[in-house]
Amino acid sequence: MQSEAERQDLRKQIKDSARDRDAGMAIRCAKKLLDGSNKPADAIFCASALAGIADAIKDQLGARPLRTYVVRSVTVEPIVPFLATEAVFSNYVLDLKVGGYGSYADELLNPQSALANFKPDLVLILLDMDETAGRLPALCSDGLGAGVEAEIEECAERIAQLLRSLRSHGSARILLQGLVAPDHTSLGDVGDANLAHSLPNAIARLNERLAAICRTVSDCVFFNVDRLAARHGRSRWRDLRMFLASRLPVNSEFFNVYSRALVRAFSTLYRPPRKVLCTDLDNTLWGGILGEDGVEGIATGSAFPGNCYFAYQNYLKQLSSRGILLAIVSKNNEADVREAFAIRAADLALNLNQFVACKIGWNDKAQSIRELAEELSLGLDSFVLVDDSPQECEAIRRQLPEVAVIQAPAEEPWELVDILSEQPFFDALSVTDDDLNRLNEYKAQAERAKLEENAIDRNAFLASLEIVCTFQSALRAPLARAAQLLAKTNQFNLTTRRRSAAEIEEFASAEGGQAVVVRVRDRFGDAGVVGLVLARNQGHACIIDSFLLSCRVIGRGIETALLAYIGQRALEMGARHLVGEFIATKKNALCADFYVDHGFLNCDAKNAGDSGSKFFTLDLSTSVPTSPEWIKVEGYECNERSGSPVFTS
Amino acid sequence: MSDQEVPSSLRNILSDIFEIPPEQITPDLNAESVDTWDSFRHLQAILALEGEYGVQFDPQRIPNLTSVSLLQKELEKKGVSL
Repeated sequence: MQSEAERQDLRKQIKDSARDRDAGMAIRCAKKLLDGSNKPADAIFCASALAGIADAIKDQLGARPLRTYVVRSVTVEPIVPFLATEAVFSNYVLDLKVGGYGSYADELLNPQSALANFKPDLVLILLDMDETAGRLPALCSDGLGAGVEAEIEECAERIAQLLRSLRSHGSARILLQGLVAPDHTSLGDVGDANLAHSLPNAIARLNERLAAICRTVSDCVFFNVDRLAARHGRSRWRDLRMFLASRLPVNSEFFNVYSRALVRAFSTLYRPPRKVLCTDLDNTLWGGILGEDGVEGIATGSAFPGNCYFAYQNYLKQLSSRGILLAIVSKNNEADVREAFAIRAADLALNLNQFVACKIGWNDKAQSIRELAEELSLGLDSFVLVDDSPQECEAIRRQLPEVAVIQAPAEEPWELVDILSEQPFFDALSVTDDDLNRLNEYKAQAERAKLEENAIDRNAFLASLEIVCTFQSALRAPLARAAQLLAKTNQFNLTTRRRSAAEIEEFASAEGGQAVVVRVRDRFGDAGVVGLVLARNQGHACIIDSFLLSCRVIGRGIETALLAYIGQRALEMGARHLVGEFIATKKNALCADFYVDHGFLNCDAKNAGDSGSKFFTLDLSTSVPTSPEWIKVEGYECNERSGSPVFTS
Repeated sequence: MSDQEVPSSLRNILSDIFEIPPEQITPDLNAESVDTWDSFRHLQAILALEGEYGVQFDPQRIPNLTSVSLLQKELEKKGVSL
């Protein structure tokens, strides 16, 4: 607990750093202050100090500005400072507008509503039981449930209509909050548990229905506030006095956890999960030190304390099964480690094959992680390190600030899984087939690299891979995958526009529009959907809005095949030239010359201004890009209006 | 009344909520005289005081506690030593 002196000292530091416009410092102090204090006055103080340096937070830390509209039927104003502050802690700056109490339906249905005019990036829909399912408590009161199922369906359908209407008017991302079951009803706990149509059971079912509806709306996340209430104590979640007097939906002591959970939920609409978890071995993956305690001496398995480590291994295994890559980064003798995994196999939840890579030796861990990033063609911001050594953790934080570092609690190994679950960095709104296949794909990558080392002639090497590209409409491939690519591709991404799923649909359905994905497979495996292009014909020009490729397939001519496909289709739809655009970022230098390398000319007239964009054109009447000869192409007519395959070679 | 009569902890909280300097928080300051003292800030002030001093106000009285001195008296009545 913070002392009053510490509290005042932190407030002074926040004030001073805000005055000096030192955004990083102000945020660090605000975090520290609010970690030790749950007092509304402190949250309001921080919110107002941080609001005063919103520009500095955006400029210095690259925080993402979000115009956020709150659709509500309850009092949220006292929660807003907490929400704004928690958002800053996750690197967002909210420009927040709260809708009217009674006007939520109009805001969602009317294309000229206050919401529509605000042009939000994000809409938070926070409705209470009265509005969403007002008849349920009465229908559930006898537990027999005449009409309960019908009411649940009707409520769900009503919400579905509101969401679809909102989606049809714009491309704002959406968070829909579910309902909270009351702590008790007149049926009592036994009745609530045993009667099929008790209110808590009905609310659980309605929440499931709402989540299912959210899955059918693009860029929409369901926020299960009931789970949060259960975790923190249902009996205290709502302060009935303040709810009845002022319609305050959450007890003020939970404003912070509620806000944090909201931010964590909507973050999945903006950020891809990290991709690699690097784990240390001694006192992290197992108890004890292999080099000192020996293979039989390390703690792992079914007995305490080994089962704490076994639980952690199981958690890693679960992460791995949905596509998070595991790697070992440990200072040890590699032979000892192999022996431990062989001899103690029955006591370990993981085997060495489940790791994409092992960096075992006496090298600097920062160097090991850098090598891993290179070998896997992933950015450092895709990595998480779990290590029990405070020195190693600190060294990585300093040398590789992009890596998320979790210090394993060596003295309380049972805490590690909880600590990991509290972190948002593996949160994913959807899991695609490509995620599931990732471990095999990266292993195939390593085999390809080996083959390439032995090959002399590049073309012969590429031909030996037997690459097949399949082009599809982004609407036919899983749309979630296309949106995921747009959200996370940094290196081979010519414009880095983070288009939403709704915008992809617009490109696909517009006259002369193209939203094309490419799937790639070769003799080593199926890489899945790895590239995307959004383009649209305007007059005689085909404007390429977005062109990107996952970095793990770069350098095999796939980008050329993709460009050839787009060019051919643009030509068929009446375009006479292609217009490419490049917007430089810190990460995409790799593709700066992409258009020039493919015969495009610099568009000097358009590039005179300093908009940040560079434009290039290619006259399709004199040259159409062609696909490399070593790639076999399978294509389909992408435009939804006609279905015949027209392009195969 | 002089501004010395508002205890500093109360003054600081109200200063955070209404975004006016602590030295301007005087006992006779009220919802009428302060632009930022609207119904939401009022609720915020109530929640902040409850959180700070560990008390609960009677919801029936909350709407009437619209000046610094009324808030202070209510806290004192609840046994808070300011």
